[in-house]
Amino acid sequence: MTQLEDQAATKQVTRRAVELVDVDIHPVMLGPDMARRLPERWGRHLERYGRRAPFVTDLYPRPRNKGMRADSWPEGGIPGSSYELLREQLLDEHDIDFGILLCLNAHDAGYEHPEYDAAINRVVNEWIVEEWLDRDERLRSCISVPYDHPELAIAEIERWAGDDRFVQVLLPAAGQEPFGSRKYWPVYRAAADAGLPVAFHTGGYTGHRGAGWPSFYLEEHAGYGVVMQMLLTSLVCEGTFAAIPNLKVVMTEGGALWAAALRWRLDDAWSQLRDEVPELDRLPSEYIHDHVWFDTQPMEEPDDPQHFLQVVEQADLSDRLMFATDYPHWDFDTPAQSVPRGLGKEQRAKLLAGTAIELYGLPTHVDRA
Amino acid sequence: MKVVVCRLEDFPEGERKIVKAGPRSIGVFNVEGEFFAIRNRCPHQGGPLCIGRLSPWAVASGPGKVTMDGPPRLVACPWHGWEYDLETGQSFMGPGETRVKAYEVSVARGDTLEDVRQAEADVRVPAAARAAGREPGPYVAETFPVYVEEDYVVVEV
Amino acid sequence: MTVATATEAIDCDLHVAPAGVDTLLPYLDEYWRSYIDDATIRMGQAAYPMGAATTGAAPAGNHEELTAVLDETRPRRAILSCLALDGVHRNPHYGAAMATAINTWMRDEFLERDERLRASMVVSTLDIPAAVAEVERWDGDGRFAQVLLPVRNDIPYGNRYYHPLHAAAHERGLPIALHAWGRGGNAPTTTGVTTSYLEDYASNAHIAQTQMMSFVAEGVFSELPELKIVFLECGFSWLPPQLWRFDKDWKGVWREVPWVKERPSEYIRRHMRFTTEPAQLPQDPEQIAQVVAMVGPELLLYASDHPHEHGASSERLLASLGDEDAEAILRGNAAAFYGGSIA
Repeated sequence: MTQLEDQAATKQVTRRAVELVDVDIHPVMLGPDMARRLPERWGRHLERYGRRAPFVTDLYPRPRNKGMRADSWPEGGIPGSSYELLREQLLDEHDIDFGILLCLNAHDAGYEHPEYDAAINRVVNEWIVEEWLDRDERLRSCISVPYDHPELAIAEIERWAGDDRFVQVLLPAAGQEPFGSRKYWPVYRAAADAGLPVAFHTGGYTGHRGAGWPSFYLEEHAGYGVVMQMLLTSLVCEGTFAAIPNLKVVMTEGGALWAAALRWRLDDAWSQLRDEVPELDRLPSEYIHDHVWFDTQPMEEPDDPQHFLQVVEQADLSDRLMFATDYPHWDFDTPAQSVPRGLGKEQRAKLLAGTAIELYGLPTHVDRA
Repeated sequence: MKVVVCRLEDFPEGERKIVKAGPRSIGVFNVEGEFFAIRNRCPHQGGPLCIGRLSPWAVASGPGKVTMDGPPRLVACPWHGWEYDLETGQSFMGPGETRVKAYEVSVARGDTLEDVRQAEADVRVPAAARAAGREPGPYVAETFPVYVEEDYVVVEV
Repeated sequence: MTVATATEAIDCDLHVAPAGVDTLLPYLDEYWRSYIDDATIRMGQAAYPMGAATTGAAPAGNHEELTAVLDETRPRRAILSCLALDGVHRNPHYGAAMATAINTWMRDEFLERDERLRASMVVSTLDIPAAVAEVERWDGDGRFAQVLLPVRNDIPYGNRYYHPLHAAAHERGLPIALHAWGRGGNAPTTTGVTTSYLEDYASNAHIAQTQMMSFVAEGVFSELPELKIVFLECGFSWLPPQLWRFDKDWKGVWREVPWVKERPSEYIRRHMRFTTEPAQLPQDPEQIAQVVAMVGPELLLYASDHPHEHGASSERLLASLGDEDAEAILRGNAAAFYGGSIA
């Protein structure tokens, strides 16, 4: 045996049940790293022309520690850019068994030239593998894709689908078209056929909203769930789930309890208007239950904890909720504190790990030193 | 229980110090010459409250018309940003809101060595910590040279 | 538990519409008559296509047709809403002229002939001073119970742009009523258009949530402390999680909006009301009771929303109510909210 193997063999390794899966963690790639990794044309483009999309943080500045946990800034970096700090503050501190990375560096790269978009996504995925997945067996990731250019997105999915540390495909909550549009179906089909759920994460082109642009970050943030309602309405009403029966989607960082009223809203609407959409041959709420998962962050906090439980039941969410911290953002949920009291032991276990294990095909037990 | 933080001259305006008193972590703040001490744990989800940003009240007479009023006596939890008045521990949002425990801070003039040793002894320090030479929070008294002539900042816990 | 019936209710959303643009011509001057004729303008029904089950039927177009409806529904009072102005999209002067025409038509055709009736005054939001002038025009006619705006527009309603209009309504104790549908041309989503009526129809609730937050975040109530807002045909069952979300976020980000001095849900409960149609509720009666309790029955105002047909949820809602809640929702809440104009 080599010295390393010998050390490994003598380390105490125990087998234990997986009890905590964090399904929304945000590593961040620093600009110079991206520039270095991009192909020459796009590295030069980045240097000369930058990125075209207005950052949402410019549209709606976050006057709350720049939108981050104030204690999550690594030396010389920005929150999420240091594996070591993330490991310490999140994975080790909270004893996380598996953490799913959602790197948002390409979230609004759809504003760019298609090949630039594709190149940015490619380097993000490469970086994730080298700097994160290869360094920590607890980590899994999304495949970041140039979603507004379906052929290029499918190529990126195919590139990584064989690495089972990639457990889903990442889109934002809004693109150039509503995400139920047929334009995107080939991307969803490619994900579904590769056995990968599609995560829609808060962000992207959240523009007019039918009411006009809000003025304040408070409205933008409190509106994340409203944007998700628009997104899910589009997915259902355009027949996306009817057309792609093996598609699973995860509404990420948009809350979950709004799903109760959305189900009733769509069911009533469909009961009256189903002749317009014959391809929807089931109740919308059935599509939602069969195809949609939700993460819990930011956890809703009604005054009366009973109300949380009631709405979970009303929305049939007990086996559709997955815990997330959203580290390192300011509205981070702590595993120990944020899960509502009164959630039964079984439901709690599902929320903290069980549902994610099933959705992502994670092992139920791990051997850890 | 009195916990000695440090010498007054080592605690300038605008600074803060985190001390341990037994199992509790407490943040002590010097805000424009006034001292406040507050538990370093946000009642919301347990965040490290006392490393948060200090701000004064932002008082609005109407939309867009805001003045910053008074000294920065609100500490914002570095996690979710919930703010607490350093003096009362009250988050100001309304009735029934979570209150952080605020501790009375006094400056003890002319304390003797005996007083300080007694304060030390009052701190419930686990034997193991003492044996390891670690004092959880209180400023180690033996580093004070001639402290009877000095003012000490002392926390009543 | 008695099954609440809606007779003798205060009906807060009952639709009327001119049969065609010709109905309004007598209320327009020569220039606008020739404008309409030259462009062959027809009254649009984009929001309520006649073949959609949710549309139900054509709204009452005159006093006789409305009387037939009232003979069936037998309300104590009914507040009429006409959405014809939603068809004017961009020309601010045309909008102002049509607003006056529609309001005058409603007065002549309905208000003068049946003292049970009240009306929502329409104003064009393309020109706020003109909208204020329209509010002033009806000073003294207490039969106009509220100012009607479409829930869909270019700019959220809390924005400073609308302040003079809200102030004019506030001065007169008139609620601002936001009704489903409205300004065409903007997608009812974050970006792209919806390809089905089904999706478009479901979108009113999403837009209403954005509007609700706008009033609070922009501090409208700090300057207009008695202003009342009512959401018509936008649903209400989406309220509880959105209020929890709004309150929680405000606690962390209040410094951005320090003129919001209480929890957002406090403002909303004090200043806003929501009609019962569409109810959009679960099947299970116990869950319906939970939803009503979480929302708070005091926020709900009964509406027939005639002629629209949104499904069976509103029947289940009424069936679920105890006597006290039924009385509040059918009459008491509206009486308190609208005050003298409804009495």
